Amino acid sequence: MSQRDCDHAVEYIYQYLDRQVTWRRKVKIRRHLQRCGYCGGAYAFEEHLIEVVSRRCRDEPPPELIDRLRTLIREQEPGSTPG
Amino acid sequence: MADRATFETDALQYAPQLYSAALRMTRNPADAEDVVQETFLKAYRAFDTFEAGTNLKAWLYRILTNTYINRYRKQQRRPSEVELGELQDIYLYRRLGEVSGATPSAEESVLDQFIDSDIKDAMESLPEHFLLPVYYADVEGFSYKEIAEILDIPIGTVMSRLHRGRKALQKKLWHLAEEHGMTGTGS
Repeated sequence: MSQRDCDHAVEYIYQYLDRQVTWRRKVKIRRHLQRCGYCGGAYAFEEHLIEVVSRRCRDEPPPELIDRLRTLIREQEPGSTPG
Repeated sequence: MADRATFETDALQYAPQLYSAALRMTRNPADAEDVVQETFLKAYRAFDTFEAGTNLKAWLYRILTNTYINRYRKQQRRPSEVELGELQDIYLYRRLGEVSGATPSAEESVLDQFIDSDIKDAMESLPEHFLLPVYYADVEGFSYKEIAEILDIPIGTVMSRLHRGRKALQKKLWHLAEEHGMTGTGS
């Protein structure tokens, strides 16, 4: 394990987590993560953070909005009376 | 070619997600509703150009993005470029590691202390060229290729903006964690 392996793991962290690395690179990184506590921790942390962001960033629309959209769509349909 | 008759059933299911995204972009519920309404109107009218069986969600997000940009870009509501300097990779992990010392997994436990408004504030603080890729990847789970199509930019640009945008998000979260006394430094 060398600093170069750590730098490599950090450089490709997002591409790895976003499943955009090649199979060869994935194997290399995975092997490093098993040996390096710091990088293993970093990967677990980033993955957890992305999960927190995805869970805590949503809002429910007001129910009237959905009704209004439905009405809007139906008004556009051929044969409906123009408002 | 898609049939307009199925538009309501096909497209309306995405309205809540589109509203949420629009709210992060506009930071204002009334504006978000306007953007979503205009999106659905445009989508309905263009639905015969949508290729049935392809990615409807991504198609709707592309219309949403263009609608938002056309309406709000001129207003320059956010700084066009955040002064990031040279932010380190895995920024938040490093910062938290510096203050938590040797305590294992203390970094991760901080993540669970963030509340919804922290994450939303941090997201909304990003300039639009970072906000959109980060939101689309992390909240909507779009692939790099889908984001490239939605934003009409090359995949390489998606990757670099996503990378820099996530770091900017982490810097903001670090400040929030400090403000809320979550870093254990007593600041």
